Amino acid sequence: MHNTQEHAALAIFGLDPTWLAVSILLVVYAVIMAEKFNRAVLSLLGAGLMILCGVITQQQAVAGIDFNTIGLLTGMMVIVAISQKTGMFQYVAIKAAKAVKGSPWGVLVMLSVVTAVFSAFLDNVTTVLLIAPVTLLITDALGVRPYPYLFAQILASNVGGTATLIGDPPNIMIGSAANLSFYDFLVNLAPITPVIFAVMLLAIWFMFGRDLHASEEHKALVMQFDENEAIQDVPLLKKSLAVLFLVIASFTVAHQLHLEPASIAMFGAAALLLLQTLGQPLADKDHAYEGIMAEVEWTTIFFFVGLFIIVTGVEHTGVIELMAHKTLALTGGDFVATAGVILWVSAIASALIDNIPFVATMIPLIQSMGPTFGGPEALVPLWWALALGACLGGNGSLIGASANLIVAGFAQRAGHPIAFLVFMKHAFGLMLISIVISHLYLYFRYLTP
Amino acid sequence: MLAERTMVTNIVTALADETVESVLNRMRAVKLRMIPVVDADGMLLGVVSTFSIMKKVLPSYISTGDLDQISYAPDLGILRSHYREVAKLKIAEVMDSKPLMVNRDESLLAVSAAMISLNQHEHAMVVDENKHLLGIISAGDVLDHLREEGANDA
Repeated sequence: MHNTQEHAALAIFGLDPTWLAVSILLVVYAVIMAEKFNRAVLSLLGAGLMILCGVITQQQAVAGIDFNTIGLLTGMMVIVAISQKTGMFQYVAIKAAKAVKGSPWGVLVMLSVVTAVFSAFLDNVTTVLLIAPVTLLITDALGVRPYPYLFAQILASNVGGTATLIGDPPNIMIGSAANLSFYDFLVNLAPITPVIFAVMLLAIWFMFGRDLHASEEHKALVMQFDENEAIQDVPLLKKSLAVLFLVIASFTVAHQLHLEPASIAMFGAAALLLLQTLGQPLADKDHAYEGIMAEVEWTTIFFFVGLFIIVTGVEHTGVIELMAHKTLALTGGDFVATAGVILWVSAIASALIDNIPFVATMIPLIQSMGPTFGGPEALVPLWWALALGACLGGNGSLIGASANLIVAGFAQRAGHPIAFLVFMKHAFGLMLISIVISHLYLYFRYLTP
Repeated sequence: MLAERTMVTNIVTALADETVESVLNRMRAVKLRMIPVVDADGMLLGVVSTFSIMKKVLPSYISTGDLDQISYAPDLGILRSHYREVAKLKIAEVMDSKPLMVNRDESLLAVSAAMISLNQHEHAMVVDENKHLLGIISAGDVLDHLREEGANDA
């Protein structure tokens, strides 16, 4: 996929570039898993080593960075950083809790739905960062323990994120690499997520929901929350909603217009930056821009940059192609079996390790299966298998997704820590159920002749 | 002007194993918002203020969350129940264990600069080489001193 022939890099000390590249990848992934160092720093070190050790040239490294993923992530981060200041997340959460008159189970369902919908269109971490504290306030008001609510919210954020191209980083990477549009994700992944979500809520009802009770007094306290107070800046709210709406609407038609999602997200971000400070003096504008830019998660962005370079280095040596052939040998080149393996391996891997490096490695692997199955078009069901496995697998454990850890952090600070094994005991089974549903969905929709 | 000539030496202190409640009572009695915490030998361990205790009383998901403001929330009784829990804690659990410490021979300029630039401390603890508390300088003490000097000059 890259221009690798121009001038090939030379591995240092005459070492075998294949072993060099694979060693760098394995060491970096292992140290990332140990969680002792920042993952962005590690991925950049690995990327630097790929170039310094002569596996690839700088030019090849830069060509390997998927700027569509980077642009889409950065653009959406800017838009979210501005819109979160309007208080609209808190407004919707409180409105939802009051709509069910403060009934404990109703509040759980409503807050989960709100989390799922926000997660589908915005990033999961921001969503839970804003909804979890409001949830803790409401459970304090209801006098119920927050664990079932936070548990449901973790599952909701990952299930919601599965539904769209922009819902979860793995989807962004897959969409970009496989040239699948926002509309493709909407048509192929969005229909199954409400089913999975409903089954999970049903399970949560049996696990916790039927034991949730609150007195009338406590429910009345929930009704005293004033959602209108949450809205802090009405003009900004209007601007944010308008830009968000236009950006998402443009995503759905981007493919017909031959536009990449990153262009839309970046344009939307720039437009909102301009609108946000319209009419202010230049000094205030600059101050506001710098504040928003500081809120973009640059460590995540650089993590992606490094990761893309590491995977490019390994891809360059032909190892990934070799692994693809081995996988195909295992499944006997059977398409249905291959889709099943990708789904289940992705799910288990994503429950235990960071799903972003996993997906970054899987993408070229699946791409090199193209010739076997008759070209890139034939691979599409495999991409859905990867997306469903990687996104839903995040529910399997507390470390399965960043949003899980954010919620656990809040629970800890609220004096109700979520234990790693307790969460896994409750969540792993539900994750497996969601993968079974996904498997059936993939089978009947794409894999039966 | 040196720190030791500006500092207040008549100090009310708290011991690390006292409860928050008893220390708050003493602070109320002597009308202080901040008092240093020392061990039995008079060595400085930290400082505790009404502000830092109130921060403890506030649920930490509010004080450290991404909530810009929570004016939409009614009184939930959380503060009252947290207050009862915090009041029973040992003072060592709520104190700020990294107070601003200055030497007795530092200049008033250096002391006031440290108060402003290092995390906005309103008080500086004057200590000797072994961290024994000698006195306290507040922002007010500095200003008072400057006013007196001005009066003397005139």
